[in-house]
Amino acid sequence: MEQTQTQTQTPCKARPGVSRALSTSRVKRVDSSVMTDNTVDTDLPDVSKETEDERRARFEHDALGYVDQLYSAALRMARNPADAEDLVQEAFTKAYSAFHQYKPGTNLKAWLYRILTNTYINLYRKRQREPLRTSTDTIEDWQMAAAMEHSPTGLRSAEVQALDHLPDSDVKAALQSIGEDFRLAVYFVDVEGFSYKEAAEILGVPIGTVMSRLHRGRKSLRELLADYAADRGIKAAGPGTKATAKKAEK
Amino acid sequence: MDCNSLGDCADDRMVRIYEYLDGALTLGDLKDVKAHLDHCPECTEQYDLECIIRSVVRRSCQEAAPQQLKMNIITRISQIRTESGH
Repeated sequence: MEQTQTQTQTPCKARPGVSRALSTSRVKRVDSSVMTDNTVDTDLPDVSKETEDERRARFEHDALGYVDQLYSAALRMARNPADAEDLVQEAFTKAYSAFHQYKPGTNLKAWLYRILTNTYINLYRKRQREPLRTSTDTIEDWQMAAAMEHSPTGLRSAEVQALDHLPDSDVKAALQSIGEDFRLAVYFVDVEGFSYKEAAEILGVPIGTVMSRLHRGRKSLRELLADYAADRGIKAAGPGTKATAKKAEK
Repeated sequence: MDCNSLGDCADDRMVRIYEYLDGALTLGDLKDVKAHLDHCPECTEQYDLECIIRSVVRRSCQEAAPQQLKMNIITRISQIRTESGH
């Protein structure tokens, strides 16, 4: 069961021309060394001797660079942009208040995401009913489900093209329509590039649960995107279709 | 190496491809999957598709935070400092 995470994101080697989007990724998988304590860096600040001004400057320099990324993540959590802004502001406020507890040299991004996620759970989930913890959240069920599924998605190349050119609004709608637990697992690993272990720490669940949610989330997302792509693929086939008309409006 | 070396069914193979992309395999397994992908068009197609899906999702989730939010955060932080300074 010991699974060593190599932490090196395998570069997608999709055939040239297959995707116009492959080169646009801003996310690089975090090197595992930042998660460990044996990072030797003599430039690390001594937090105990730091003044308030120095800490604030360090926070603004190191943490505020993640505002855009945390805002994107918050948009996957909150119901609307205004709530997402509140969420990010609250998370950064908490992060600053707790910044003396953050250990320089460890993974700041993961630390901030954990605060964001906790803030979200405290602020929003408590207002709603506690989400159902289904029995499907176990690795055994995931493995069983995996063993029962046999058919590959089998997209045709026209649909692959349509998928690659899906408007952001379609992709976001698809992501938003999968269950929240699954959505966040997919977002943290596939978009933000966190390892299973990091995602598990951020979400406060076991690694097996992250893997189970990832598996189901990716499957649902893939099916939804295939539907959108098929829709676009067909619409784009002829002139005067809805898709063409929509593009003309822009 | 045939497809079954990655698992007994298509879904098992997808799990291996996911783990491969996630950097979650042991070095030995990583080499096995890589070697398999070099020779299996079906799995390579699934791999390419998964790469496209991830890149499309990443591309679509690149919202910049409103400038006002950044200013609000800086203001809030300075207030915290003021509060704790008393």
